[in-house]
Amino acid sequence: MIQVAGKQMAWHEGMTVSDLLDELKDPHPYAVVRINQQYVTRPNFEHTFVPDDADVFLIPMIAGG
Amino acid sequence: MPDYDFKDAKTLDYKRPEMENGYTDQTLYINLSDPQIAIKPVAEKTKKTFIGGKGYDLWLLWNAVQPSTRWNDPENALCIAAGPLGGTPIYPGSGKSIVATLSPTTASVIDSNVGGYFGPYLKFAGFDALEIQGKTTAEMVVFIDGVNQKIQLFETSGLPENAYELSAILTEHFAQGKPRNISVVSTGPGAKNTLIGCLNFTWYDSKRKRARYKQAGRGGVGSVFADKGLKAVVACWNNVTADTNKPADKARLKNVAKQHSREIVELDPKQNEMAKIGTTHLVTIMNDHDLLPTHNFRYGQHTQAPNLGQEVYRRMFDPGFDGCWMGCTVACSHGIKDFVPLTGPYKGKKVFVDGPEYETIAGCGSNLGIFDPHTVAEMNFYSDAYGLDTISVGTGIAFVMECFEMGLIDQSHTGGLDLHFGNRDAALEIVHQMAAGEGFGQIVGQGVRRMKALFAKDFGADATIMQDIGMEAKGLEFSEYMTKESLAQQGGYGLALKGPQHDEAWLIFLDMVHNFMPTFEQKAEALHWFPMFRTWFGLCGLCKLPWNDIIPEDNKDTAEPAKVLKHVRWYADYFSAITGNEVDPDDLIKMSESVYNFQRIFNLRMGFGRRQHDDLPYRAVGPVTETEYESRAERYDKQLAEIYKADIDGKSTAEKLTQLRKQREEQYEKLKDAVYKRRGWTPDGIPTHKTVKRLGIDFDEVVELLRANGVNS
Repeated sequence: MIQVAGKQMAWHEGMTVSDLLDELKDPHPYAVVRINQQYVTRPNFEHTFVPDDADVFLIPMIAGG
Repeated sequence: MPDYDFKDAKTLDYKRPEMENGYTDQTLYINLSDPQIAIKPVAEKTKKTFIGGKGYDLWLLWNAVQPSTRWNDPENALCIAAGPLGGTPIYPGSGKSIVATLSPTTASVIDSNVGGYFGPYLKFAGFDALEIQGKTTAEMVVFIDGVNQKIQLFETSGLPENAYELSAILTEHFAQGKPRNISVVSTGPGAKNTLIGCLNFTWYDSKRKRARYKQAGRGGVGSVFADKGLKAVVACWNNVTADTNKPADKARLKNVAKQHSREIVELDPKQNEMAKIGTTHLVTIMNDHDLLPTHNFRYGQHTQAPNLGQEVYRRMFDPGFDGCWMGCTVACSHGIKDFVPLTGPYKGKKVFVDGPEYETIAGCGSNLGIFDPHTVAEMNFYSDAYGLDTISVGTGIAFVMECFEMGLIDQSHTGGLDLHFGNRDAALEIVHQMAAGEGFGQIVGQGVRRMKALFAKDFGADATIMQDIGMEAKGLEFSEYMTKESLAQQGGYGLALKGPQHDEAWLIFLDMVHNFMPTFEQKAEALHWFPMFRTWFGLCGLCKLPWNDIIPEDNKDTAEPAKVLKHVRWYADYFSAITGNEVDPDDLIKMSESVYNFQRIFNLRMGFGRRQHDDLPYRAVGPVTETEYESRAERYDKQLAEIYKADIDGKSTAEKLTQLRKQREEQYEKLKDAVYKRRGWTPDGIPTHKTVKRLGIDFDEVVELLRANGVNS
């Protein structure tokens, strides 16, 4: 089980960030998610695995400057 | 006994006016030449048109200077203002000061915003803005004592040169046991000896018991300050509450402030953790998206970038509350305790570093090919102490490093410095030379535009290639984002009034990552709305971070997520609550439009402000060299073939480079057309008569200026 934006979600072996977003069915084009304290950016979604018990934050990144 | 001396030069006792709805309705004028101190009322029309903050600065400056005025003429004015909302301790990000003056590097108007306590204390002392003209050969300290209702000018001697010690000494000197009542504005020897000087604005850190500072960095505002003979300007005030601004509707203010403040406390830990790591999270995020400048903006990515990322600075920052204004829940002004520099006058001694923020990390780190967080912190520390802008320092050194690697300059020009990218010792040595006004550092401190001319004239360097790689526009060094793959952000930088600084528009993610604005018209709309809304923060004395760096959880489901309209509505509510003028979100944009267009016209008055002045160096638009092209060949080949329908079969890199350049430069010119049209400007980039009339800035002088420049309708 993992926490995504404060809600519990089922976890499975080999789950990538891309899988997680697909399973959430959230169409927002997230550029960044945070897994515990690690930032993962969209170019790395497909090959970054989500560990079990992770606390995942979806970062609606629209600012920077 | 202290070994410094203060001698009274002039004193004015005054009666502090009652604050009313965020305004004092008067400004403080100081002329250092005579010397003279005067208090001037603010006309109702000025208040209505220019709102406050940057708007007031621009109006004071407009009336102080002539088209022939240069940055170091006595009549150039240095203006500092808060704004009607500035100084509210219960609304996050309400402590900004805005500085405006004629810039030594752009020769036109520059504005720079900064945290710290000064702007609010100035206002609470009785002044919506401060205007300083004239010059003195003596070292002068200005003391604005709002508690005892007295303005004093002191001729001083024996005070330290650098801002690190000076801030601490002046805080103690004026505090009378209450250091939190004091805010010091000062600079350092680097500002005196270069044209890229910054100003340090202090805030008192009660927990760490030290004066800390933030910087008004851009465009050499510190060099103007130093050139005037100013040692420091100090403001004193006590007891800040939600009532101090005398809001029109306190209950409404408390309600909206509580909502925004609570939201940040709840969401920041789930989003960017700015209260813990500031803006350092941006380093690896930008790097992953090929947006982190490395090696003078050649590339946007480097394998060693994580060495400068948030995980490193999370460990280096001293934990604790780091708000540069009271009660701000973003609290992103972090610092490093017990840092020990390896070079310079503080070598081997423990110091406190205020920073680094993202811009400094990218400018003094990755853009120089330096991926050592300690070196970045040391450059940060010395730049602040010497009064140097870390952005211009970084972008300037990056330029000379690339010139060195290209063979445009060599060690016979650099005083023996080996300026290959990544040379940490050389980068630090240049900073120390800037402070001393010696060696090659003194040349780098003139800024990129002057260096290009000097290298061509004196060293025989190729002017054409330097034009492409010298990252300045309008004379201002670029801040630290890659723009090659975002046409909208090319506009965000190139069409910015003061030069390529990201505080007008930061559209990279919206454009490049989210593809929210695929057409020219959509880009033009964004390049209208975002600069206007961001200008509004500068009118009111606010920081923009609470607006769109911490975002409501349901924001993504709104019609225009990029604008974060829930917060925009809160800001309209906030403005109404303080000033008593009922406004809606569209009114905020209209307020900014008047000031924004006025600043564009100010540029025109100073000999700029036309289409040609919105040009960019090609490095900001696309790959300059074949090596750059080949590093992302797949991307560029695909664009040429699919978007521009070019036949690239069998073409050499040089041929493809030329084709791509032609296309991209055409796109940028088309963007200018679309933006000028949206903003109500002529094809030459000048506001039309109709536009200035609509905005209420059709003053006789403005209309005459437009007419003299061929704009009659």
